[in-house]
Amino acid sequence: MKKLLLTGLTLTAAGMLAACGGGKAADQTSAAADSKADTKQEGASEAAGDAAEVSLWTYPVGKWGDSATVDGIIKKFNEKYPNIKVTVEYLDYQNGDDQINTAIEGKQAPDIVLEGPERLVANWGAKGLMVDLKDMFEKDAASDIYDPVKTACKSPTGEFYEYPAFMVAHCMAVNKTMFEKADALKYLDLDTHTWTTDNFLKAVQAVYDSGQQNVGAIYCVSQGGDQGTRALVNNLYSGTFTDKDHTKYTVDSEENKKALQAIVDQAGLNFDPSIAGGDEITLFRNGTLAMSLCWNASQQTNSDNGPAGKTNAGDEIIPMLFPSDDGVTELCGGIWGYGIFDNGDAGKIEAAKTFIDFVCNDEAQVKESVKASGFFPVRPSVTGVYEGTETADAMKLFEEKFMPSMGDYYQVTKGWTTARTEWWNMLQRIGAGGDVATEVATFTTNANAAAAQ
Amino acid sequence: MAKGVYTTRSKELVRRETASAYMFLLPSLVFFIGFVIIPMIICIYTSFFDSTMGKDAKDVFIGFGNYIELFQDGIFLKALKNTFVIVIVSVPVVCIFSLWISSVIYNLNDKVLSVFRCIFYLPVVTGSVAVTVVWKWMYNNYYGIFNYIGKGTGILKTNINWLGDERFALACIILILLTTSVGQPIVLYVSALGNVDNSLVEAAQVDGANELQLFWKIKWPQIMPTTLYILVITTINSFQCFALIQLLTSGGPNHSTDTVMYYIYYMAFKMFRYGYGNAMGVVLAIFIAVLSAIQFRVAKER
Amino acid sequence: MKTSNTLKKLYTVVSIIILIALAFCFVFPLYWIVTGAFKTPVSINSPVPDWIPKELVLDNFKKLFSRQAAPIFELGFIKGPMAPAAVRWMINTVFMAVMAMVLTCLTASMAGYALAKKRFHGRIILFTLIVCAMALPKQVILIPLIREMSALKLYNTIWAVILPTVGWPFGVFLMKQFSEGIPTEMLEAARIDGASEFKTFTDIVFQMVKPGVGALAIFTFINSWNDYFMQLIMLSSTSNLTISLGIAKLQAENSTDFGLIMAGATLAAAPILIVFIALQKYFTKGITLGAVKG
Repeated sequence: MKKLLLTGLTLTAAGMLAACGGGKAADQTSAAADSKADTKQEGASEAAGDAAEVSLWTYPVGKWGDSATVDGIIKKFNEKYPNIKVTVEYLDYQNGDDQINTAIEGKQAPDIVLEGPERLVANWGAKGLMVDLKDMFEKDAASDIYDPVKTACKSPTGEFYEYPAFMVAHCMAVNKTMFEKADALKYLDLDTHTWTTDNFLKAVQAVYDSGQQNVGAIYCVSQGGDQGTRALVNNLYSGTFTDKDHTKYTVDSEENKKALQAIVDQAGLNFDPSIAGGDEITLFRNGTLAMSLCWNASQQTNSDNGPAGKTNAGDEIIPMLFPSDDGVTELCGGIWGYGIFDNGDAGKIEAAKTFIDFVCNDEAQVKESVKASGFFPVRPSVTGVYEGTETADAMKLFEEKFMPSMGDYYQVTKGWTTARTEWWNMLQRIGAGGDVATEVATFTTNANAAAAQ
Repeated sequence: MAKGVYTTRSKELVRRETASAYMFLLPSLVFFIGFVIIPMIICIYTSFFDSTMGKDAKDVFIGFGNYIELFQDGIFLKALKNTFVIVIVSVPVVCIFSLWISSVIYNLNDKVLSVFRCIFYLPVVTGSVAVTVVWKWMYNNYYGIFNYIGKGTGILKTNINWLGDERFALACIILILLTTSVGQPIVLYVSALGNVDNSLVEAAQVDGANELQLFWKIKWPQIMPTTLYILVITTINSFQCFALIQLLTSGGPNHSTDTVMYYIYYMAFKMFRYGYGNAMGVVLAIFIAVLSAIQFRVAKER
Repeated sequence: MKTSNTLKKLYTVVSIIILIALAFCFVFPLYWIVTGAFKTPVSINSPVPDWIPKELVLDNFKKLFSRQAAPIFELGFIKGPMAPAAVRWMINTVFMAVMAMVLTCLTASMAGYALAKKRFHGRIILFTLIVCAMALPKQVILIPLIREMSALKLYNTIWAVILPTVGWPFGVFLMKQFSEGIPTEMLEAARIDGASEFKTFTDIVFQMVKPGVGALAIFTFINSWNDYFMQLIMLSSTSNLTISLGIAKLQAENSTDFGLIMAGATLAAAPILIVFIALQKYFTKGITLGAVKG
C-alpha cells in the first residue's frame, strides 16, 4: 500500500516538474536577470542619452487594451526612434489601480501610464510621484488643445501631470424597441437626443407600465462606471458635484437631493448594489434593462459581440444626453492621456516624453492613436479621424450632438478617491431605504473632510 | 515532561542536541522568520505611525493613535464582526456537513464512492476566480438561477437581489465558501471512517448497540484526530476568504460583507493609510493568535 | 428490530437522494464554465439560461490565445518563442505551485522532526510562535511584505508568491504532529549504530512521516494554486501572471466578456482536474493516511 502511495506521489511530482521544466529554469534566473538588465539599462541610457527602455501601462481604453493594436503603434514608433524600447503591460479596471499602487510600493512603477486626470493628476500627481510635463505643453502641437482639457490636466499648484490624447463625453442610451412598445418615444427628442427631466420620468413610467419592471439600474457595487450615476443625479435638477473652483463637494445641495428623491420615488429605476457599470451594460445589451447610464461613443460603435448599435436581440440602441430640467445638460467627460512616473532616471523620462510626443503629436500617427481609443481628439486641428471607416456616421453624431455638452471636469477635486468611494456607499444606503437628506449629509461630511486634508 | 528529559541528560548532550536541532530547523526558519516574523515586526512598528504613500510623505509617530481610531471606526468593527461570523458559521457547518456526506458514501461501492468524492472536490480544483464568476451569475438579480428556480417553484414572489441585499449578502458569500471548503474534509473523513477498527464495531453490534451509539461510542473517538485536523484547516481557509469578497461585493452593500482582510487591503491600496492598515492587521493577528492557542489547547487536552 | 431496519433503509435512501441533488449543485458551476467556454456571445449573455447549448464555437479560445502573447520561457537574456500569454500563465502557475509544494515539504519535514524529537533551547517559544502564526491571513503583513520583496528585487517575480507560502508555518506544525509518532527507540538505535544525523533523518524519519508529507504536499499545492491574493499584489507583468490572475484581468470595465473568462477558467481547471481524476487513488490516500495518524 505504502509503495503504491509513494509511487503515486513521485509520479505526480515528477510529472509536474517535467511539465514545467522550461518555465522553472527560466524563472529562477529571471529575477536576477531583471535586476541586472535594470542596472545595465540605467547606465546605458545615461551614457547614450536617447537609448532607453521604457514601460507603458495602459488601461483598456478602446483598442489600447489590445496587444495587436498597441504593438502596431510601437512598431511605427520604433521605425522613427529605433533606440527606445517600449514594453507594454495591460491593466484592467477591476485591479488596475491596485496594481499600480502595489507596483509603486514595490518600487517598480511603470514609466508611462495611459489614464485620466482623476488618477494622473489628482491621485499620483498630488502625491508627488509624477513628472511635470509643462515643457510638452509649450510645444506648437499643444497650442490648440481645448482650454478645459488643459485645465483638467493641471494640478492646483500649476504642474501638468497628464498630456491629453483623446476624450469622450459619457452619456446614456435607451432601447428603442422597448420605448416604442411603451409608446414612450414621444418623450424623446430624437433630433437633438435630449429630453427634459419631466419627460424622462414620464418615459420611465410608461416603459415600466408596459410591463418592463427594470427600466434602469442605479448600479453601485463599486466605483465602476460611476460617472453615469453622478451625471444622472446632477443633471436632473441642475445640481453640481463640486463647487466651481473644485474645493469642496456639493452633493448635499437642494437640487441634488431633489434629484435623488425623484429617482428613489420613480418606479422602474432600481438601486442595485450587486452590479457595476460593466454589468449594467451587459444587462442592457441582453434586453434585461431598457436603458443604460454607462454609455459613450465607443460603446455605440462596439461590434465585438454583434452588430454595432444593436442589442443582442437586434433592438436599436439610441444614445441620449442625460435629462435636464433647464435644457442644458452637462455630460461627464473622460479625458485620457499619458503621465510619466518619476522613477529618478532622466534618460527614461526623456524617452517617455519622446514616445508621448510621437503618439499625440506626430502628424502621421495622431489620428491612428485616437482611432484606437474609439474616442475624440483633444484639439480641433486633428480632424477626420473616422473618415471612411464603418463607424464614421455614429462618430459624427457623437461629435456633433454630444461632445459640445461636455461639462466641468470636476474629477480632479481633492479627496477624489474618498469621494468616489463615498458615492457608491451612499447610493447603497439610499437604495436600502436610507433617508436621502441624511445620507447625502454623510457623503458631504466625509468627502469634504478628505478634500480639506 | 520536558523537565524530566533535561535532568536525565548531561548539559553537553543538551548543547549537542540544540545544535543539531537548529541545523534541521534552519531552512524552515529562514523562510518563517524572513517572510512571516520580520514583516510582522515591521507591521507592529508601522502601526504606531501615520504612514502613507507619496514622494514627500514622512511617517509621523502617533503612538496608539491608529488603535484608538480603529475602535471608533464603525466599519472596522463591522468588518471584525463579519470576519468572525464567517469563521464561526463556516467551520462547524463544513465539519458537520462533510462528516454527514462521508458517513453516507464511505461504504458505498468503490466506483460510486470515487465519483461522489470527485464531485465534491470539484469546486476546490476549479479555482476561486472561475467559481466566483459562475456564482455571480447564479445570484443575479434579474435572471440568476436562484431567482429562476425560486419563482418557478413559487417559493419567491419577486426576485431577490441576493448579493445586493444586506440581509442576504454575507450568507451568500458563506455559501460559496462552504462549497469550496468541503472537498478536502470529505476526502479525509471517508478514509477515516473506512479505517475504523472493524473488530470494535462488530463487538459493539453483538452487544446490541444501535447505529447512533455505534457512531458516538466507537467511531467518533477514532476519527477525532481527523476532526481536529479538519477544524484547523477549515479555520485557516475561512480566514483567508478574500477573493470572493473582492470579486463579488467589494465589501458591500453597506459594508455587510466587509471583512478585516478586505478592509486592510482597501485602506492600504485605495486610501494609502499604511499605518492604519497595519494597526488593523495587528489587532486581527492578536485575535487569531488567541483563537489558535485556545484551539490548540483544547485539541491537546483531548 | 424490524422497524429499525426499515428506518435505516429509509434513511439511506433519503440520504442518497439528497446527495445526488447536492452532487448536481456541485457539478453545475463546472458544467456552466465548460459549456460557457464554447458558447456564442448571445447565448452566454442570454437572460434565459441556455442549459444545453445547441451551437458550440471555439471563438472564445481563439480570442483568449490571440489576445496577448508572452515568451514561453525566459532564461536570463534568452527568451523562448512567443506563445499565447495564457500558456505562459499556465506554466507559471504550475511552476509556482510545484515549487511551493517541494520547498514546503522539505523544510517542514526537517523542522517538524526537530521540534518533535529534539529537546533544545527555545523550543517552547518557537512552537508557540508557530501555532499563533498558523492561521494568520496574509493580508495582515501585506504592506511590509511588498516592501520586503521590493528590497530583495523579487517583486513582480513568481518567487514573491512562493517564498511567503513556504514561510507559512502550518506545514511545520503538521509535520511536528506526524513526527511525534516516530518511536524514540528507533532513533536511539540508529544513533548507537553510528548513523549520522542526516542519515537518520533520510532513512528513518522521512520514511516514517511520508504519508504526512503527502498530505502536506497536496494541501500546499492546492492552496498555492488558489491563492489569488498573493498573486494579485505581487505580480504585474503579463509574462509573470498566473492563470487565475490572468482570468481576473480579463474582466474589462465596460463589457465583461463572460465567454472569454469561461474559456480561461476551463483552461485553468483542466490540467488540475485531469491530475486529480487520474491520480485520485493516490491523492486521497495521501491526504488521509496522514490525517488519521496525526
